[in-house]
Amino acid sequence: MANGSLRLIWGRVGMERARGRHVIARLGEFPVGARKIVRIGGREIGVFHTTAGLFAVRNSCPHQAAPLCLGTITGTTLPSAPGEYVWGLEGRVLRCPWHGWEFDLATGAGLYDPYRHERVATYEVRIEGDEVVLFA
Amino acid sequence: MTVSATESQPPPGARRAVPAGLELIDADVHPSISDYTQLHPYLPEVWRRHVRKSGFGGASSGILRGQGGLYRADAAPPEGGEPGSDPALLREQLLERYHVRYAILNGGNILGLGTLPDPDFASALAAAYNDWTIDFWLTKHNADGRFKSALFVAPQDPLAAAREIDRLGDHPHIVQVLFTTATESPLGHRRYWPIYEAAEHHGLPVAVHPGAEGRAISGPPTAAGWVSKYIEWHTCLSQRAQAHVVSLVCQGVFVRFPKLKVVMVECGVSWLSHVMWRLDKNYKALRNEVPWLTELPSEYIRRHIRVTSQPVEEPPDRAQFLSMLEMVDARQTLLLATDYPHWDFDDPLAAFAGVPDDLKRRIFFENAAELYGAKLGTVAG
Repeated sequence: MANGSLRLIWGRVGMERARGRHVIARLGEFPVGARKIVRIGGREIGVFHTTAGLFAVRNSCPHQAAPLCLGTITGTTLPSAPGEYVWGLEGRVLRCPWHGWEFDLATGAGLYDPYRHERVATYEVRIEGDEVVLFA
Repeated sequence: MTVSATESQPPPGARRAVPAGLELIDADVHPSISDYTQLHPYLPEVWRRHVRKSGFGGASSGILRGQGGLYRADAAPPEGGEPGSDPALLREQLLERYHVRYAILNGGNILGLGTLPDPDFASALAAAYNDWTIDFWLTKHNADGRFKSALFVAPQDPLAAAREIDRLGDHPHIVQVLFTTATESPLGHRRYWPIYEAAEHHGLPVAVHPGAEGRAISGPPTAAGWVSKYIEWHTCLSQRAQAHVVSLVCQGVFVRFPKLKVVMVECGVSWLSHVMWRLDKNYKALRNEVPWLTELPSEYIRRHIRVTSQPVEEPPDRAQFLSMLEMVDARQTLLLATDYPHWDFDDPLAAFAGVPDDLKRRIFFENAAELYGAKLGTVAG
């Protein structure tokens, strides 16, 4: 339980604190398909380069604290009429490696949560020159 | 507890008086037909001849019923005939005894039509039973309008079922569509959608009721297969209800038919919490299979599924009973039912003793009044 509480506090602080600048790779070493999990302070953060762009989220699933960033990058079925299937968000969906809960890498929102209350913390990633830079 | 002058006295042998001001809507009452030849005038000649020769063909599952038979032993009419076949006795033993304002009649000994191999015969039987019900129960013996009835349909032929709903669904005392839980497929299957479309169009809930499990084309009566004892058969009747609710939600029936309500009659109560919790948990992992669900499955269940109380679970610890009502959100989902005149009848006063008055009012009256709406006449109660 103590770990769970700490996780929550860190999540909030992570969103609010003045962010540090961290070079995590050279762009040439970080092509589409690459991911890197870095440790910044007490936080593990996964940085992804997908077909949809650069993203970074906390490496902890809000469900049971699984290492979220070891999950699959994919798309998913978008809301549709019964019996219809519309694929979307390709490269923007991270599926937790344990239970398959889906998160939108761009917003951190849990796609399984109709009310969008549950989310994983997200961080800004930018390309500066030939460096991939994480702000966290 | 003192008995005030306004409370009615219980009949001999009854321990509980109905509290002043308490009224019920009984969501599961079984009238009987005293003699099946009464259906003959309502059947086309070809089926009338068949019935004369071989009966309804509603063979039993072969599972031996316990010693008591189907009925309460005190419900047989003095002049003879099946329990539940005498409107006056039914009124005395149920409506007057328990202050039942409206009795929802769910037919008697006819549910098995939903498992007959011939859909044309099944549809004809349903229509004949509906016509007889309207003439006998809803017209001849219904001066005060307290009898409301289900409309039987044969799920083997959903298009014919939809036509039957179009034919009689607007009758003022027909308040829901009814067929067996022992269907060939889970209820979310698209083959059944014409029934839902017609029911929604006529503003009628769809109710399903167990009892024909193991008959004819229904398949084995439990999820694990065939059982040998009635106690096993009866206890496992909640299984199909679970599969039906999961199917209805996951297949998007309530997305496609947003005004439809489905009543799981006599299938038990506490399993509903298990289904809501397990389905919600699985939705989080498997939502991508059912992208048309944009709310948690339990939200669709709370809005669209109702369960009737009898035979209500009786945990030895009364606090667990109250917890159960909370866990299934009984304030919204539960309808009082007695199942009169069957052997597993629940006395509502005994079954819900100790339940807080406001919750009891929801279960005994308001939930059903909201479900059946204007057809009950005085919704405000």
